Amino acid sequence: MMNPGNLVFIFMVCVTMVGALVTVVSGSVIYAMLGLVTTMFGIAGLYIYLNAPFLAMMQILIYVGAIAILIAFAIMLAGPFYKRPKEWTTSGKLVASLVVSLVSFFVFFKLVMRVSWGEGGGVFAVTTKEIGRALFDRYALPFELISLLIVVSIIGATMLALLSKGEK
Amino acid sequence: MTGFLYDNLNVYLFVGLFLLCCGIFGLVYRRTLIAMLISIELIMNGAGLNFVAFNRFVSPEGPEGMVFTLFIMGIAAAETAIALAVIILIFKRFKHIEGSEIEEMKE
Repeated sequence: MMNPGNLVFIFMVCVTMVGALVTVVSGSVIYAMLGLVTTMFGIAGLYIYLNAPFLAMMQILIYVGAIAILIAFAIMLAGPFYKRPKEWTTSGKLVASLVVSLVSFFVFFKLVMRVSWGEGGGVFAVTTKEIGRALFDRYALPFELISLLIVVSIIGATMLALLSKGEK
Repeated sequence: MTGFLYDNLNVYLFVGLFLLCCGIFGLVYRRTLIAMLISIELIMNGAGLNFVAFNRFVSPEGPEGMVFTLFIMGIAAAETAIALAVIILIFKRFKHIEGSEIEEMKE
């Protein structure tokens, strides 16, 4: 039970969960962003345990390298946040969000633990080469659609920034 | 299934479920729009973790789940770019980004 692989795995699960909790209950937005970065590193570790090192690298590259930096710039542009009230709001909202999240947690937990998923069909040996081949062979159309979506979003963000310039 | 904890599908499903519920909690609870966006990122990551775990344990023949997780990452990046542009516009107009107090969208 207590071999090094299990210990590191438990550590990664704890990093993910603590990061997610810090993300949602911290009082400041910049702490939420740092919690998101912690969660992303934990999930990258879980991807390595799932035999997907390419996905772990992409997770760190995209989320920590791109999205977290983007969120940090947005926080700096929309600040200063330390002059605002904290994120903790009324107790009614706290009770409502606790009820919603806990009810969904227990419902999905019962559902997930009841179904037997029929696991363990053969040994898992999908390499990065096969992911690349599937992306350009069978999933070529969705891949191109994703790139089109990203181009449209870049143009849209630029146009939003440009059109709002002359106001006020 | 061996004695190793990381060879167990339910552990990964539990972590994905935890991320989903944290995301729902943050989406309802947080005040600023940026924090709500961060919570949506948590939900998407829980979904991606579930896809890779199912690919690893239930259908280990092909890379379908991993391909889908890569698509989720791309969509999340595009969505974040658009949403942050809109949030900065809202900040320019209203001088705050608190989601419950933005009531008018027209000018």
